[in-house]
Amino acid sequence: MPSQICTVDRLDKPSSYTASKNKRRRVRDRDGDRDDRREKSPDEDEKMKDATTLYVGNLSFYTTEEQIHELFAKCGEIKRLVMGLDRFQKTPCGFCFVEYYNHQDALDCMKYIGGTKLDERIIRTDLDEGFVEGRQYGRGRSGGQVRDEYREEFDPGRGGYGRAYQDDDKDYTIEL
Amino acid sequence: MAELELRGGYGYGGGGGGGRRSRKRRYGDDEEFDRRPQRRRYEPEESLYDQLKRGLLALGEPGPDTQERMRLLAKRLVDHFDDEDIKSRFVDLTVCLIIEQPFKIPFVSAFALYVNDLQSSVAGQILSRAATKAQAVIDAGEWRELKLLFRFFALLSNLFDGDGVFSVLDELFNRAVDLQTASPEDAVGLELVKIILLTIPYALASPAKGLEPRALDMLQRTEIIASAPHPYSPLVDPYPTDSEDKPYGYQSLIGLLQKQLQDEASRGWELACIPRLYRQAGVGTDGADEANGADEVPISKHTFPSITVPSPVNPGVKPIFPETAFSVYTDQDIETVPKASHIASSLIRDACVDLINILDTNRSFVAKSLINIDHFWAPGTFAQRGMMYDRLRQLPEDQTTWKPEDVAVDAIFSQMFKLPFPEHKLVYYHSVVTECCQIAPGPIAPSLGRAIRFLFRNVEYMDMEVSYRFMDWFSHHLSNFEFRWKWPEWTSELEYSDLHSKKAFIIGAIDKEIRLSFTKRVRETLPPSYHHLVPEAKDKDIPDFKYKNDQTPYAPQARELYGLIRKKAPDEEIQGVINKLHEEAVLHEVEDPLIPSTDAFVTAICFVGAKSLSHVLSYIERYKDHLLSIGPSSEAARRQIVASVVDYWHDQPGVAVNIIDKLLNYTILTPMAVVQWILVDKLGRGAILSESWAFEMISNTIGKVTNRVRQIVDARVQGTKGLAAEQIALVDETLAKERDAMRQLFGVIDDATGGIAVGASDAMIESEGSDDMAEQNALLRSLGDRWQRVFKRKAAVEESAVGETAVAAAVKAAEEEAGKNLKNGGDVAMDNGHAEAGALSGAAENGSTA
Repeated sequence: MPSQICTVDRLDKPSSYTASKNKRRRVRDRDGDRDDRREKSPDEDEKMKDATTLYVGNLSFYTTEEQIHELFAKCGEIKRLVMGLDRFQKTPCGFCFVEYYNHQDALDCMKYIGGTKLDERIIRTDLDEGFVEGRQYGRGRSGGQVRDEYREEFDPGRGGYGRAYQDDDKDYTIEL
Repeated sequence: MAELELRGGYGYGGGGGGGRRSRKRRYGDDEEFDRRPQRRRYEPEESLYDQLKRGLLALGEPGPDTQERMRLLAKRLVDHFDDEDIKSRFVDLTVCLIIEQPFKIPFVSAFALYVNDLQSSVAGQILSRAATKAQAVIDAGEWRELKLLFRFFALLSNLFDGDGVFSVLDELFNRAVDLQTASPEDAVGLELVKIILLTIPYALASPAKGLEPRALDMLQRTEIIASAPHPYSPLVDPYPTDSEDKPYGYQSLIGLLQKQLQDEASRGWELACIPRLYRQAGVGTDGADEANGADEVPISKHTFPSITVPSPVNPGVKPIFPETAFSVYTDQDIETVPKASHIASSLIRDACVDLINILDTNRSFVAKSLINIDHFWAPGTFAQRGMMYDRLRQLPEDQTTWKPEDVAVDAIFSQMFKLPFPEHKLVYYHSVVTECCQIAPGPIAPSLGRAIRFLFRNVEYMDMEVSYRFMDWFSHHLSNFEFRWKWPEWTSELEYSDLHSKKAFIIGAIDKEIRLSFTKRVRETLPPSYHHLVPEAKDKDIPDFKYKNDQTPYAPQARELYGLIRKKAPDEEIQGVINKLHEEAVLHEVEDPLIPSTDAFVTAICFVGAKSLSHVLSYIERYKDHLLSIGPSSEAARRQIVASVVDYWHDQPGVAVNIIDKLLNYTILTPMAVVQWILVDKLGRGAILSESWAFEMISNTIGKVTNRVRQIVDARVQGTKGLAAEQIALVDETLAKERDAMRQLFGVIDDATGGIAVGASDAMIESEGSDDMAEQNALLRSLGDRWQRVFKRKAAVEESAVGETAVAAAVKAAEEEAGKNLKNGGDVAMDNGHAEAGALSGAAENGSTA
């Protein structure tokens, strides 16, 4: 294979999110661990070197597994697909994890599918170090994704206005 | 990416997978991102190197006064060349630019000439680094990179004493002759000749004089190879039928190049599209056309760097096939792309294709470059951007009608539809089209429209795989653009029989649109005359369970099975019901009771799991052992699994395709069962060959098998570097077995489709004679023929990669390399060996389950 491209940016790098997450974790590890059992958390590059999982964001709540499968299989055989769910309702809340068999397929997905449309929405993809049970649930207070709490614009594909602004959301009011 | 953008970047670095995405959303949309205040980024002043880099990468990009920019950059470089860091990195970057951005090679070359004017030793360093790279790529058989580096040298021909680039082209030609003499199937020799033919015009467009005799001499020698027919040419023909109505057939790329160059020679090597960017020093500094001044300053010459072509050459890792010309604009009354006989068609296409294939890491950069294509070629090469087709007609006779958008779209499609396979995944080319449409929707859309109409018009002459790719792209493309298409213009095609390629295309495309969206949405984008193609049944998220109806045989047992599966009952209870079903079947004198019981069981699993793919998969997983036990008991029952899945999901075949795929992974199904169910059990008169899902299912199945064989071959080749003899024997045995299975599979497909192609299927013979059947039979024969070609080609391509001869050659090459390594340091080789052994057993395991 020819050497890496050096005159043009790549689209298949992990985003600043993944980088910052790793950084944060390192800080936390240091703080919480006083004794000298220094378990070096693998470097970010090292972790992503073989990453086969992608975080997929900005999906409509109504987008199905089959639709996601149909699009993402264009980059390679999918090993596992985990739909992101509302923590309380257990309904799709607009993100998912797609796991491929091959690292290269995940990279290609970043390059060829990230930023294109699925179900008429521009979706975003990000390399991910791998799905862990629990991560399929939204972390927002009302159960969905954080971004849907305070969204000021109306998004019919993602439950309308931000949940924090919906007075009729009784669950949410109780939560507060 | 965001960081780069903040730092100011280069303004064209290709921002992200979608420029439309607001930064706000980008940060906001992580479910786990905690919002801590962003620290203000410290922005250091741009270093000298970064400034030079920015200047270099901007060469050729739209901007004022190209010559002046090049001259200033040259001056700055020369002034600071004593800085070791700058020297090394900048020279490296220059070489990278040559092999990464082919559009810019004329600019890099002109820049190098300006550098040479100021200080020839600096230019010498660039030349020598480029030569080192050229030697490296030639040794590795990286032919595209070699071609691009030769282009750079050719454009600098005036710097060299003597023959310049021609001396190494001679050597390359000799190797091509060796290869061609050794084997008529050789394609590497063709690639070498292509490199030669694509280097010559750039040498003649350089400021050097007196190269014409050398070029003519070379053309005389290449003629015989360039014009010879190649046995593999039918494999890459996008329109392989015998019909006289097809738009064109195989047209050898190097054959055309040869003729184009001979034509160009007779016109005095005009080569009008290649930009001449260098104005000699002291002749005029305004960048005006004063290059032919009288008092020329003598140029400091260099000796051509020594580049040796190994004998025999390393063929490289990418398989090479003969190439054919491809265009979607061949039947227009206005020439919107250079015609195939014109040298510009080859020069521009070659640069576009390389750009597209090299930079798949940044599709938005590729799209931007394609949209800016007119900046990179000589002024006057293209008509004004975005000019409407009808306005081209009104242009004065002496003006070009080449539409930059058409040239770009044509190049992308040539790669998307390239046979036997494209360089990258097809979806990459989809994404480049999408990106172009987003950057320049107004100008691109009409070009795309004409392309689609051309392709659709010729769909029945098209290679089946190409038409499948076309359909797949078309539906995916529309899903990115609100499903907008002028469907009414194809209304009359709805009259055709479903067996007709055009009708099948429409049906298949709509189904694929629905798979990416949902039925109601797609239906509302279609005119009412199309609605019968989208029946109500397609709206059902959960298709009916046929055993709900008491008329269906074994309905009670099937419903009981459904209840048990839903309850996640243990397999013993399931088996109990199945036994009851068997008893009843025996009463009905059913020969193989496992067939109806399998139908009931599998259909019930489909119904219980209909909510989503992961639902059905979890039930398959739960009853995996039971499902696995069906096939070994009865091959017919195994095929019944395929039948039941496809039947349950027959209104949404995409779901069936996915489930079958997973069942293959579990080895509940075998590839042979899938192929035989479609191409034997369901073949009938061959109508199933018009179903795009059938083609998809067979292609996927074959893909799995061929991938597996290739993995084993990889393991075998890698294994030479340290596997023990008995392990190698084991791999060899597996390989022989799996390869044999693959051949059998291809054999079944070939027999079945070949039978339809010659009209020999039993059902067909019976129906022959009735007149209205004659047309149907013609359609069926054509379908059979098109299918047969595709799988014959796939078989041939696989043979060339995993056949006995190919494997033996690869093993021999690996052994030789291992021998070399052993001399250099045995320890390393041993370590590798152990690692490979581990990887190998892993691969074998994967293969059996995956």
